[in-house]
Amino acid sequence: MKPNMFELAVRSAVSRRGLLKGAAGLGALSVMGLPRGASAQDAAALRAQILAIPGVGMGSPTDAHFQQVGELCLGPTRANVAEGEFAGVELTFMGLNNQNLHNILFRGFLKSWEDYTGAKINWIDLAQADYNPRLQQAIATGTVDFDIVEMGAPFEGDTAGRGLLDEMPDWVKEQIDMADYVGYLQPPVGTWDGKTYRITIDGDCHTFAYRKDYFTDPAITAATGMTEPPTLWSQVNDFSVKVKGQMDPLTGIEAYGFLDPLKYQWGGFGFYFLADRATAYAKHPDDAAWLFDPDTMKPRINNPAWVRAIQDVMDLQAAGVYPPDQINADPNTTAFSQFLGGTGGMLTWWGDVGSNARTSDTSVVGDVVGFSINPGSEDVYNAATGQWDKPEGGNFAPNLAYLGWGIYVTNRVSGDELKRKAAWSAAAHLGGRDISLWMATYPSGFQAYRNSHFQYDEWEAAGYDRAFVEDYLGSNQDSYNHPNGAIEPRIPGIFQYYSIAEDELVKGLSGQYASAQETADAIAAAWEKITDQIGRDNQIALYKASLGMN
Amino acid sequence: MRAGGRDAHPPLSTGIRLSTTGDLLHVVTADDLPPGRIAFGRGLMWGTGLLLCLAAALQTAQAMGVIDLGLETWRPTLYAFITWAIALCWGQVLTRGEQGKRALFVLPAVLFVVALTVFPLLFGLLIALSDWNLSSPTGRQFNGLDNIRQMWTDPFYWNALGNMGWYCLAIVVEYAIAFGLALLLNAEIRARKFFRVAFLLPLMLSPVAVSWMIGKSMLEPRFGPLARLGRALGWDTPSFFGDPLVAKLTIMAMDAWTYIPFMMIMLLAGLQAIPKEVQEAARVDGASGWRGFWEVTFPLMLPVSLTAILIRIIFKLKLADIVISVTSGGPGGATDTVTSFIFREYRDRSNVGYGTLLAMVYLVVIVIAMTILMKIADRFTRPRT
Repeated sequence: MKPNMFELAVRSAVSRRGLLKGAAGLGALSVMGLPRGASAQDAAALRAQILAIPGVGMGSPTDAHFQQVGELCLGPTRANVAEGEFAGVELTFMGLNNQNLHNILFRGFLKSWEDYTGAKINWIDLAQADYNPRLQQAIATGTVDFDIVEMGAPFEGDTAGRGLLDEMPDWVKEQIDMADYVGYLQPPVGTWDGKTYRITIDGDCHTFAYRKDYFTDPAITAATGMTEPPTLWSQVNDFSVKVKGQMDPLTGIEAYGFLDPLKYQWGGFGFYFLADRATAYAKHPDDAAWLFDPDTMKPRINNPAWVRAIQDVMDLQAAGVYPPDQINADPNTTAFSQFLGGTGGMLTWWGDVGSNARTSDTSVVGDVVGFSINPGSEDVYNAATGQWDKPEGGNFAPNLAYLGWGIYVTNRVSGDELKRKAAWSAAAHLGGRDISLWMATYPSGFQAYRNSHFQYDEWEAAGYDRAFVEDYLGSNQDSYNHPNGAIEPRIPGIFQYYSIAEDELVKGLSGQYASAQETADAIAAAWEKITDQIGRDNQIALYKASLGMN
Repeated sequence: MRAGGRDAHPPLSTGIRLSTTGDLLHVVTADDLPPGRIAFGRGLMWGTGLLLCLAAALQTAQAMGVIDLGLETWRPTLYAFITWAIALCWGQVLTRGEQGKRALFVLPAVLFVVALTVFPLLFGLLIALSDWNLSSPTGRQFNGLDNIRQMWTDPFYWNALGNMGWYCLAIVVEYAIAFGLALLLNAEIRARKFFRVAFLLPLMLSPVAVSWMIGKSMLEPRFGPLARLGRALGWDTPSFFGDPLVAKLTIMAMDAWTYIPFMMIMLLAGLQAIPKEVQEAARVDGASGWRGFWEVTFPLMLPVSLTAILIRIIFKLKLADIVISVTSGGPGGATDTVTSFIFREYRDRSNVGYGTLLAMVYLVVIVIAMTILMKIADRFTRPRT
């Protein structure tokens, strides 16, 4: 759970009555259990019990609560590890300390684990900005000094691809119930060459956020002819052109359609926003690859699908449909300054926009924001045939941008079986089925990522507003489980590709290239250079491995 | 009498007769070093020197995979270097006596500089001539002049270098404004001390804070106060970073706002150092206010002015924080600086080898440019005869 989403739930959903209702529901769940036998009953009771710590609406959880939850969720560890089994073992854990979350929670969760097993954990806390350089330098200079690492899936290419990780033992897979993961986090994500390395603790994807009042306002609907939110990019573009000249029903200033972050340069993360458009055109249901050709690593960024996405943006820019100074708007601006501030009718973003819409003091759109999966396209480019195919019902390919955080064990422990078991046991404790529910519902820095997290009854019983949870989490779940989701390639240096693409893209948008094709060709040329520098054969092998093609 | 000269010295009244040749002025003790002490000193220096060479050679061999000593870091070589450095200093005293003690005033500093500046610079040079992408499994590969060739054809780098030329030219305007402010603050005006502090405030702010307060807030195109002012003055769609030229000028203005106080305070110090009698004499001679400034104050201020401008150029060449925070070099590279481009190349793209080369080349360009500028400045400030 992102902290601001928690605040949103607290502000919008929890009243004294609601809290009592939730508590009663939790009590009933814990007493009555679910009709699935004794163990299911115990599990439900445990889940209800931890969701009441400290209770939605009872303030932010503290270290005492983390420890309490950790202790209650120690059951699977007790089943696999004898008391004191790891006495004398010392492990080093590297992770983040953003917003006093991540490692700060892990410490509390693992306190009871340390007490029970006898192991000791030393912590390396890093700020987000320091994390990537620290990890990359450790890898590049061969100075990996941590046994357990909290890491994003895009770095699997840099670590698993180089043999720096330890393969997950089978008992861990059972302990954490991996089958419960949402569709897109199932293998090949978390695996390399068929071996599993990752304990998932988070999920990420882009979803489509829109202003519901733009589709009910008489003047805007008359001008655009649309009374339902668009589901295709062609409709989004059409709406953006037609809404120009109208007034925003909420703020009274000029209305705008979709907000592309035309600055794009955002340390590589801005590229996701072009991909939001492009995946609908470029991610064919019959082909797992959409950024590179998996046999040659030849970039697809300059194929007709990607060029069409760039052309869409260029056309809208030429039509003057964006707010003034959009060329200097990065994704942060489009989301938190523009959309939440009442400028613009639609954008794609991670989950933060949904939660901030109603919790942020600067947001004015909290009551009129709706969510869905990213728009699709009537046709999709088939890289194999070079033709545009027209799937029935259109092509939808949610951009599963960034694959969330996971816990990994490094190969430093591989030679010491006791230490190895200890490291995996600690990691499994953090990735457990029940403890993850608590992390999904309370501020932790992590989002829902298991199918069992989307049992809305549990959320409602805990005190959440059902309508909000269904709308907001529902768009995430639909994206996660989409059969044609565009999954990020987990190859070394993936953000280097994104970063240079951003530089070239803004050159194209500022008119330094003659066309969308020329812009895309410049990106492709830069990508080829990076591939050659990192090593083409190696990249091909790792790209295939990341797509599960080996 | 000149030091070390051959002038005759009268014998001292104590009867001690000092040598009349060699360095006479500074030697306070007569060195009569026993051969054993000298030999020990030399042995100490050579022994520790050999130890250092041996440690470095062994560790290099391990780094190249020739042998495996089980060493995880280069600390043994570091310790050997420190031992050698101490022995070298001690050895100077042992072998050269008083002369050696004199060397100790400089030698530790030289060794320190070599260890912390020259060696990293040489190592940096090696990296600059390497293909080293942190994501590459092959690690660092020496690639000769390839990075220089890449730089030669890299439009991003040349664009950034061109921008730096424009940014540096803006210093002329900054100087004029700073001089004007310094003259005002040097005059007998009310609340002079308050204004001196107030005008210094922008310099005390972090450029990142300036970026957010001004670049992201005051210049925000919809609700920012300056955008509102622009609209009130008839500018339909005020955009301070949308157009390449306007964006460049806005970055120049923000940077100027931060650093004009620095030039101003240097110039003010210069103005206050000029004796008032000079101006009074000019006035007595009938010089008008302008002539008094142009023919008296300005020439007297030239040395300070040139120093202020040179230091400002050095600051300007490092311009990056405002650009990275506000525009990321956009739109389309219009505001990019060499440093912000290197930052992207190095941090976002982990291209350590190429990024280091760009930084090295930039360093050389700066050193050459500054040397030329200082030569010119020297010619300007030399008193006319």
